Amino acid sequence: MTIRRLAAVAKKEWKETVRNRLFLLMAFLLPPLWMVVFGYGLVLDVERVPFAVVDRDRSPLSRDYVYRFIESRYFDYRGTIQDEREIEGLLGKTAIRLAIIVSEGFQGRLSAGRPTTVQILLDGSFPLHADITKSYVLAINRAFSRDLLTDFLVRTRGMTRDEASRLLEPVTVETRYLYNEEVRGTWSIVPALIMFALMVSPPILTALGMVREKETGSIYTMYGSTASKGDILLGKLAPYCAISMINVVVLWATAVWLFDVPFKGNVVVFFVASVLFVLCSTGMGLVVSLLVRTQMAALIITIIIAMVPTILYSGLLVPVSSLGLGARLQAHAFPAMYYTDVVRASFLKRFSLHTLWLDILALAGFAGAILLLAHRLFTKRPNA
Amino acid sequence: MRERGSPIVEVTGVRKCYNHRWALEGVDLVVARGELYGVIGPDGSGKSSLLKAIAGVQTFDCGSIKVFGLTVASEQEAERIKARVGFLPQGVGASLYQELSVEENIDVFADLRSMPLEVLAKRKAWLLNVTRLDRFRDRSTKHLSGGMKQKLGLICALIHEPELVILDEPTTGIDPVSRQELWAILSELLYEKGMTALVSTSYMDEAERFHRLSFLSNGKVLIAGTPEAVRTSVTGFVATFETTAPASAGVRLKQTFGQVEAAGRRVRVFVGIGDREEVRRSMEVIAGEFGGSSIAVEEPELEDVVVSLLARSGGEEQRPEVSSQGALYDREEVAMQANGLTRDFGNFRAVDGVSFRVRSGEVFGLLGANGAGKTTVIKMLTGLLAPTAGTGLVAGVDMKTAARSIRERIGYVSQAFSLYLDLTVAENIQFFAGIYGLDRQTAAARGREIVAMAGLSGYEARLAGQLPMGLRQRLALGCALVHDPRVLFLDEPTAGVDPLGRRRFWDLLAMLARERGVAILITTHHLNEAERCDRLALMDAGRIVAEGTPEELKREVRQEAGALFEVVVDQPSRAVACLRRSGFPNVSLYGATIRLLCGNPDDDLSRLRRELAYGGIGVSSIRERPLSLEDVFVYRIKSLERQAQSSRQPVNA
Repeated sequence: MTIRRLAAVAKKEWKETVRNRLFLLMAFLLPPLWMVVFGYGLVLDVERVPFAVVDRDRSPLSRDYVYRFIESRYFDYRGTIQDEREIEGLLGKTAIRLAIIVSEGFQGRLSAGRPTTVQILLDGSFPLHADITKSYVLAINRAFSRDLLTDFLVRTRGMTRDEASRLLEPVTVETRYLYNEEVRGTWSIVPALIMFALMVSPPILTALGMVREKETGSIYTMYGSTASKGDILLGKLAPYCAISMINVVVLWATAVWLFDVPFKGNVVVFFVASVLFVLCSTGMGLVVSLLVRTQMAALIITIIIAMVPTILYSGLLVPVSSLGLGARLQAHAFPAMYYTDVVRASFLKRFSLHTLWLDILALAGFAGAILLLAHRLFTKRPNA
Repeated sequence: MRERGSPIVEVTGVRKCYNHRWALEGVDLVVARGELYGVIGPDGSGKSSLLKAIAGVQTFDCGSIKVFGLTVASEQEAERIKARVGFLPQGVGASLYQELSVEENIDVFADLRSMPLEVLAKRKAWLLNVTRLDRFRDRSTKHLSGGMKQKLGLICALIHEPELVILDEPTTGIDPVSRQELWAILSELLYEKGMTALVSTSYMDEAERFHRLSFLSNGKVLIAGTPEAVRTSVTGFVATFETTAPASAGVRLKQTFGQVEAAGRRVRVFVGIGDREEVRRSMEVIAGEFGGSSIAVEEPELEDVVVSLLARSGGEEQRPEVSSQGALYDREEVAMQANGLTRDFGNFRAVDGVSFRVRSGEVFGLLGANGAGKTTVIKMLTGLLAPTAGTGLVAGVDMKTAARSIRERIGYVSQAFSLYLDLTVAENIQFFAGIYGLDRQTAAARGREIVAMAGLSGYEARLAGQLPMGLRQRLALGCALVHDPRVLFLDEPTAGVDPLGRRRFWDLLAMLARERGVAILITTHHLNEAERCDRLALMDAGRIVAEGTPEELKREVRQEAGALFEVVVDQPSRAVACLRRSGFPNVSLYGATIRLLCGNPDDDLSRLRRELAYGGIGVSSIRERPLSLEDVFVYRIKSLERQAQSSRQPVNA
């Protein structure tokens, strides 16, 4: 292996990539674009649910009830409707996802000490979404009922509000969210998107870079030269690793400044893990490129190999610990999961090496294995 | 010639198989030090597989290959020869990086071989100068012409001054001027540096440029030796005469002789028996029957020999049915007409004011390199592409606006035949019949006719993809003929077909033109097969540079520039240098011989003998060679360049 030969391959590869508009876009625009698009689009938080109200009672108490929804950050008040028949149309065109119908005599029945019902209509197209909305509604409703009861106790029994509360709810739950104190979806998803962006663009770029040479025939320049297999493979890999590391910095900055995700971990640990992961992802592209002959085949196979495990089994959307046994095994067989661990931890937790060393070791193992595999597969004297 | 040294390449019984198909079936070959060795054969004959195996960049299955006396049987073994070998893969600019500049490409090749920088700088300057690419150092490779790309490819393959260079079809698809230049550069570099070269080509007319050659056919060596030895390996002579009834004469001759070609008014026949006088006498008898004149009897060309060998070894192929009645159509009717056709693609003018006419029953050739604009002209004539300026008429109508019924009167065989390779021969024909709306009965009848005409009987149930290239090409032609068109467009139909297959294809075209009065426009970059066109136009960079019958074109050049002579000398490289010094302008090294154009042969040749004798160079023979269309092409383009220069000079001064 000589530095000059390796550098010759790397320099040539770099020039080819940055001078080709398509490759240039794929190298530098695609990864941040992924992050922005998915960062805004993939957030699963249910907030600002649009809703409308039919208030048949029009009493101070009914207004008080509705007001609790209007005030909440989970709901977005779109107006009061006079005619109940309009509701279906609004739900149908998704102008609202929830309608609250307060029946006549709401205040009257409550004042008389009789129970009453409020009807809610929910858009059930997305069951998860509907369930979460329902739980918000129930929580607000329960709080309203409890407040009524508290008022009643205060009025009739001469208790203080605190005493009345304790009587009504002897056991209370004290919740504190760790790491992501505000339980924001973006904080969880955006760091994982760094992994996603690095798993898609770099392998495609690397695979196309190699197969492009097979298609044009310039690969024979490599085969016919005195450069060693190591020179050629590392020379091919180096520029794509460099491009990917630039992307790591850009993505990190996007996460911190655009999405306001805090970075609490250790920068060195994060970057070491990133280098190892980039070696894995570009290496996977390289391995694919050694097995196929056309750019089309390289593109399709790389996308399948890179995307499927990344989306399903990396912990991007669903925590690996809650996957089934089969899926969990698959998750452990790809490097994406380990890097997701490191990235999430680096952003949200203050831990560093002593908890993440196993992940980093795994990444290093994958990188080494993939590069060895590429070296085994590559030959300067192929069969066809 | 220098003494042949120890063998540089020894190939014994090499076989190579791709997916159950044999590409090489036991090839033997020996290349001696200092030789320019040729591997000739059509596409798919195994040239690339052989060259890649020798260069150590692809495996082979059986046999042995030794390069510099070292076996090349594994990846590790192949690595031992790579420092001493230069390899240029097939395809224009294939070895190069298109996004890099000329100089950057050379640097990559040098860096990959860790060449010392001072040596690199010196060699780079020298090679760029020799190839006249120094002005383009900084130009991006993707913006070079095909000829320039191949010259750069050659520089890159030679930058480390290898002992052996292996060049896979370096001249395919580039313009004739660049082709001649490339050969001149290559021959001179080989002499100067004492390199050995193994070069493949699919052009038969390049065979004479090699010291020795092997002709490959279907993975086997058909014949090998020096061009002279190959030429004399088959006894016989080629007789030609002119007649007013070439078609009937052709039919008469075919009763006795196998290889008969009719081109324009000339009939050419290979006679395998008898001496020169006997051949002349028998030809006089036959020519007499058809009012023949100017009978000539010559030594056979290499291609005649190869065709005769192929015909002998083959036999699997059926001949197309070429019968002949007299011509029964109006030859004056103009079938195609291009009037100042021009087409721009952005800033690039692909076709520039092209005008010509093709009459019914005429085979008109459009010749030129890849990118000369041939396909664009066809697309404009057939109405597939709108011209930027000018008009193209077929049967007096603009195809773009013509009614469907008129548009259906044209047939078109595209560059990559539009056959369905996983359909059988019969299914392909039926499919095309369906497209043109033939009813079931007519389709069946036409199908039988076409199978018979194209010589495909017995192959009806074979998949098109399993046919040899020659038959596949005739099937494509048959499919284009299914609706009996009056006008036929053929875009590079003979790529990848061996010389015998090509001749049979041309027989078929001649028959269609002569008997059915079909007007045929054909494009090709095989200049030697264009001899069989009735008329042709030479295209370069979008313009027509010459037009006429092949004879007219050659006669004009002969009158303007003189006759072509071949001089055999003992030190060709020195002789070329010596003659150039003494003011002979058109001298080139051609294999182991020298070729030059002489305007005034008597004076020029005696001066030439004097100069060479003075320089201590022995002359063993001088003989006149017929001008080829390539010579015509190169001469025309060079004189155009000279005109352009001289018209520019007054402005500069």
